[in-house]
Amino acid sequence: MLRLHLVLLLSFTVLHTSLAQSDPSGKSAVTRTYAITNATVITKPGSELKDATVVIRDGLIVGVGQNQTIPSDAEVIDAAGLFVYPAFIDGLANTGAKRPENLPRPQNLFTPDPPNDYAGITPENSVLSQLDVTSNTIGNIRKIGFAISHTAPYGRMLPGSGSLILLKDAEHMDELVLAKDVALYAQFVGAPGAYPGNILGIMAKWRNLYRNAVQHKDHVALYAENPSGLPRPVNDRVSLAFHPVIDQSKAVMFDVSSMLDVRRAMRLQNDLGFKLMVAGVEQAWDIMDELKETGTPIFLSMDLPDAPKENKDDDKTDEVKALEAKRAEAYKTYVSQAGMLQEAGIKFGFSTKGTSNSKIKKNLMTMIENGLSEDAALAALTTNPASMLGIDNVTGTVEAGKMANVLVTTAPYFSKNSEVKMMFVDGDRHDYVVKEKKSKDASEKDAKPSQATVDNSDPIAGEWSYALITPGGEQNGKLKFTKQGEKYEGVMTFEDGTPDTDLNNINFREGVLTFDVELDAGGQAIQLVVEGKVEEKSMEGKASASFAGQSFQLDINANKDGK
Amino acid sequence: MKIKNILTIVFALFSTVVLAQVPKGDLLIKGGTVLTVTNGALENTDVLVRNGKISKIGKGLRAPRGVETVDATGKFVMPGIIDAHSHIAGSAINEGTSQVTSEVSMEDVVNPLDVSIYRALAGGVTSIHLMHGSANVIGGQNETLKLRYGFTNPDDLRFEGAPRTIKFALGENPTRGGRARGIQPQSRMGVENMLRNSFTQAVEYKKKWDAYKANKSARKVAPEYDLRLQTLVDIMNGDVLVHCHSYRADEIYMLLKVFSDFNIPKLTFQHANEAYKVAPELAAFGANASVFADWWAYKLEVYYSTAYNAAILHNAGVNTSINSDSGELIRHLFHEAAKTQKYGDLTDDQALAMITLNPAKQLGIDDRVGSIEVGKDADIAIFDSHPLSVYAVPLMTFVDGVKYFDKSEDRKDVRLYINPEAAIEDVMIYDRHEDHRCLEDAFLLTMEDLFSNKK
Repeated sequence: MLRLHLVLLLSFTVLHTSLAQSDPSGKSAVTRTYAITNATVITKPGSELKDATVVIRDGLIVGVGQNQTIPSDAEVIDAAGLFVYPAFIDGLANTGAKRPENLPRPQNLFTPDPPNDYAGITPENSVLSQLDVTSNTIGNIRKIGFAISHTAPYGRMLPGSGSLILLKDAEHMDELVLAKDVALYAQFVGAPGAYPGNILGIMAKWRNLYRNAVQHKDHVALYAENPSGLPRPVNDRVSLAFHPVIDQSKAVMFDVSSMLDVRRAMRLQNDLGFKLMVAGVEQAWDIMDELKETGTPIFLSMDLPDAPKENKDDDKTDEVKALEAKRAEAYKTYVSQAGMLQEAGIKFGFSTKGTSNSKIKKNLMTMIENGLSEDAALAALTTNPASMLGIDNVTGTVEAGKMANVLVTTAPYFSKNSEVKMMFVDGDRHDYVVKEKKSKDASEKDAKPSQATVDNSDPIAGEWSYALITPGGEQNGKLKFTKQGEKYEGVMTFEDGTPDTDLNNINFREGVLTFDVELDAGGQAIQLVVEGKVEEKSMEGKASASFAGQSFQLDINANKDGK
Repeated sequence: MKIKNILTIVFALFSTVVLAQVPKGDLLIKGGTVLTVTNGALENTDVLVRNGKISKIGKGLRAPRGVETVDATGKFVMPGIIDAHSHIAGSAINEGTSQVTSEVSMEDVVNPLDVSIYRALAGGVTSIHLMHGSANVIGGQNETLKLRYGFTNPDDLRFEGAPRTIKFALGENPTRGGRARGIQPQSRMGVENMLRNSFTQAVEYKKKWDAYKANKSARKVAPEYDLRLQTLVDIMNGDVLVHCHSYRADEIYMLLKVFSDFNIPKLTFQHANEAYKVAPELAAFGANASVFADWWAYKLEVYYSTAYNAAILHNAGVNTSINSDSGELIRHLFHEAAKTQKYGDLTDDQALAMITLNPAKQLGIDDRVGSIEVGKDADIAIFDSHPLSVYAVPLMTFVDGVKYFDKSEDRKDVRLYINPEAAIEDVMIYDRHEDHRCLEDAFLLTMEDLFSNKK
């Protein structure tokens, strides 16, 4: 039975490959040579060419300038009025990675040191083992202007190594890999109900693992020199994974958002001596001296807090007014920190991890309104991450000899109305439909249903009333979903006054809706991962909540509003 | 070693030193009643502070040029209060997932943004012992802090040079965790067994490493490193002071025996509500006690208690302190100390020592703080009346001669980091007069009423 299945599968693969070569689908490009003409080309931050041509051939930029000869086999793209930029590089995300199944609870969970896999200690893993070429996250982030992502694996304290991934359509993940296992990825995420459960245990575990890895490395070296009379070094996959970190040929990228967590990562670095990068940073304004002194590469989170809304009551107290003013000041600090780093001369990149795609451009604009220069913003998206990730000799600028990672926009990128018209990733061209400017022809407008109206045919888009059954009683509120292209976006509201919270990783497949949401509980994050079966207009599901290293399951039900 | 590496190391050392600089103040506190703790109350006396240290105590001192003077006429000047048991300023408190976690340390989770730090300063507190929780038998290492509120770097709050300490826990808390998980310890017997097993393992661990270090061969392989067992070895070497959560006399006595068997010299019992029953034994061992003034009956093992505990221990020769274990109680530890006069007739110096010099001794920092003496750190609190009076109000608090609290300049909102997405709620002071009282006392007695001492 199994054998038959295998034979079928194999024959299918062979057939598929042979088909791909002749490509009856007509999807593959006629030529891989392009000439983008008459464009305004921003070759790198602060350097602009007018009426220039960019020639791309077989994945490389072969010419940039005003007097370029257009090759005879080139497809000419008239880019009059368009703008060409180096495509962006994402410092940290999970783009293309698939969250692995939760491990079953091990029998010996309550031993002082539970199995490494359960404890989240798998530094020997590579994100490549989680990559899924069909993941729509690749195309979705490309559409915003990104060509390369430093993709990290899902997991807990030491999930494995991240790799640099080209955001292209591929048959096999090998085609995506620009650089494998570039940095060891680390987080302050504890194991549910087991050691290390929180930051206390994680810091200690790090020290213990590292010290033993150093000893292991010495042992291996001694044994390689002359094994006679020495005990055999154990093939310890965790220690082995640390060897390149110890000799500093590989950096550790710590995913740390708060100022205190950044300092904790720096503290480990200071105690142990590895090469450190920090990513996903949301609070950097108080650590600028340390960043400058240590030269730690930093990738700021592209996520920004929502602008606070003031209470509109006329009779609000002075106390409320003062609290609102202080909150507004705090908001200002968050949105102006990119500008502050620029001012302090600290080179930084960006990380899209945890940021909803629809907010990336908007947040960039907010940072620019609050002190970040457009050149510095572009550098943070291109040349800075390229040099911090060690790929500045191959990409990050629009220059002859570099990879053809190029973004074409309808207006200067950092303007409100700019749209991505075209992306080249590794020389592959992707076109996007650009929204028409406000239509003059009213009848045409009437013919199409406007985007604002809810598409009733969609099973998810719209408003849902939910009930989350907690030990403390039922929590109610709304789930609001909208569909953006093929992707859902959503927000969760609460009747108890908790501020609205964005939903992440929304997926609807074969009648099952999944999403997750991070709630703030007095400074600690509660993560809710919801999975529900949708039938008609109702959903029944489970929400697994994890909080401070503990996790438990709650029931959640929702009904779609309206007729 | 390559020159580049050497330079990197030198630079790293240099930068650490630069970062660890905290401000030190110069100050003359004039004309107050100075409660020295070690040398009685000195009326109408001045205290001169230079570069964060007390440099002179006397009458008629003059402020050197540029040194600010604080007029303390009619006021009371005491050493900053030290809380030997606190859980404020920590981002996490328990690594309770395992029963022995001696490798974890509160120094990794100091949270300088906690507004409780400011509230404690407003109660005259200058140092706290940030402790790991009591979820497991051998918990984590603690961190002694100076309350330099306003700095965002946890390193700036560390009490430089304070000895390492660690939290142990006996009784209901760790056995509750054991029973919940179906592992040892589920009873007080299991707790003792776990302690003895752990130290026995540590002895074996030490033997392995001693043999490795004694081996002169260049071709030797190091034994596995275990920060958990290494910390236990450090405890046995006397490098780490043990602070043990405990209530009952039998378990306190048990730990004395365990520590005697393993030759562990330094021990402070925290809470220790029944310590008065074994006071002579504690004194003979040289153990310390850090207790509540009059708080008990919050769980079964804490019913057998007395408000005379601190005084009995003190009179038996046990170095005793009074602690808060709370972000609220920490603001009026001077009231808690005063209770030892009501219950036990301690002198002013003895009562004040309970919240200054005695906890300093328990934390191994009494050469630096805990009394007003020349050469000590200028960690000082100024009160409007005698701090052992129920009417006492703290006015100013100094750490290293730098003012971190001043009642006359108190701001309403002292938070350092604010979540811009948080909702703003009206702050309400709970007002009991609005309660409906028509059915008061109409119901049967509750457990709370039965054990209440209000009537």
